[in-house]
Amino acid sequence: MTGREVVDLIKKNVGVPWNEQSTRDTFKVGNPDSTVKGIATTMMVTFGMLKRAHEAGLNMVISHEDTYWNDRDDTKDLTSNALYKTKTDYILKNDMIVWRMHDHMHSMHPDYTVVGELRSVGIKGGENADMRPGVFTIPETTLGEFASQVKRISGFRASRCVGDPKAKIGKILVGPGYATPRMTPEADVVIGGEQQEADGSFDNVEYVADAASLGIAKGLIMLGHVVSEQAGMEDMVKWLGTFVKGIPIQFVPAEEPFWT
Amino acid sequence: MNRRRFTVLAGAAAIPLPGAAAPTAQDVVQRIQATLGGEWPVTGPDGFKVGDPSTPVKGIATTAMATVDVLKQASKAGMNLVLTYEPTFFGRQDGQVSQSARGRGFGGVAQDDPVYKAKREFIEKNGLVVFRLHDHWQARKENDMVSGLAESLGWNKYRVKPDDVLYDIPAATAEETVGLIRNKLNLRGGLRAVGDRGARVRRVMLHPGAMTPALMWQRYSEVDLLVAGEVREWENTFYAADIYTAGEKRGLVTIGRVVSEDPGMRACAGWLKTVVKELPVQWIPAGDLYWRAV
Repeated sequence: MTGREVVDLIKKNVGVPWNEQSTRDTFKVGNPDSTVKGIATTMMVTFGMLKRAHEAGLNMVISHEDTYWNDRDDTKDLTSNALYKTKTDYILKNDMIVWRMHDHMHSMHPDYTVVGELRSVGIKGGENADMRPGVFTIPETTLGEFASQVKRISGFRASRCVGDPKAKIGKILVGPGYATPRMTPEADVVIGGEQQEADGSFDNVEYVADAASLGIAKGLIMLGHVVSEQAGMEDMVKWLGTFVKGIPIQFVPAEEPFWT
Repeated sequence: MNRRRFTVLAGAAAIPLPGAAAPTAQDVVQRIQATLGGEWPVTGPDGFKVGDPSTPVKGIATTAMATVDVLKQASKAGMNLVLTYEPTFFGRQDGQVSQSARGRGFGGVAQDDPVYKAKREFIEKNGLVVFRLHDHWQARKENDMVSGLAESLGWNKYRVKPDDVLYDIPAATAEETVGLIRNKLNLRGGLRAVGDRGARVRRVMLHPGAMTPALMWQRYSEVDLLVAGEVREWENTFYAADIYTAGEKRGLVTIGRVVSEDPGMRACAGWLKTVVKELPVQWIPAGDLYWRAV
């Protein structure tokens, strides 16, 4: 089976109309007509992840995020960049194929990035969640306790929190990656991947910090972009296995990049 | 000097600031605008956000972000005009009602939002006036957002070229340098670093605020450590991670957007003292709003 044939099967099985206008969900590098020996799913096609996929004998990478460090994978300013050359040469030399699956994952039912995120942070009942799953109710606890629990269950190292750790909370609003939801009157805590810190369409950080200063119980937990959605690519392996037969399919996680 | 700028300056000279009556917020802002020059369109981000511009000013506070905590401190210190670099009302629209909802989620804030209402009431009850000073402060050729951050880190004397953002600091490991940054800026939970902890750091680039991928691609290979306010993780952060995997010992540390901008607003307070000599001016940092779960 070729990379192109794998993608054709995905388009047939995705369950939503395929948007051929998507600039994200396309082949990024490699020959789509190369034979696929194995498929690696990942949140982000980092150089480290590429090496691990190659060593595992998986030459097709299905990545939720970009390859060349910008959302549009625009490479016109990178043609003389040494890292661009090194990464591209590695992919081509090893006959690897990179294809991105972003926009359609978020319109699928369920949205595996959200399903995975809810599982990662220990919130139950998100097995069929779509991209905007609404508010989840958990047994009342404090923001500090809840943040500790999220850290313990997820294992994420570099998450950042805002708000009063003593605030009583129980209503959780979750969004994947950069689609961190804005705080609403119905929610106590927003959990997201990342978001512009200030001067954006809605600045959760300032809002939650101000709520805390005013004695209004609100919290924000920013998990990190890649780790927030990453578990969804494990679910993607199972889903792919229902219609891509006879090829090994594995989840090859991207590394959490941070130390603190 | 072009004709327009001359007109503005001439106009500024005619604004009375008599010793007997305190200048109003409007008077002070007009003097700032005249000194900084340029155009100040009403649709731009800079401008009055809340409070009555005809309020007599007792003192001026500068800050990276007019949080409730900063506003409380300003009020207590008798600084009733607050100049903020970032928005007051949780986003670019800064309390304006949205005409067209665009982007991820709808922008702006509802007028009956409890946090918005309480913040606005605190400001009005205490007679504060908030003015956003962002584009015009950043656009000064001196760019004190950078030199202010360097000063906070104790690095001003290490600047490689006066008009550039590179600093050759005393050599140390990345981990030691990050520790120094954390201590000097009083950071809590917002700092995140990428790369080799043990890498030797000598040349550092300072980039307060948000950094684009294009600028990072252009300059990252010049430095041992890049200190930025914030970047997009799936863009700049993984560029740094990939360079690390490729074997280059460079590092990226993001300290938080607001925290990175606080020192530049201390520089702004210093500059204001030369422009509005008759009023007290005080820098009130917004600080690191993040904490890390234990």
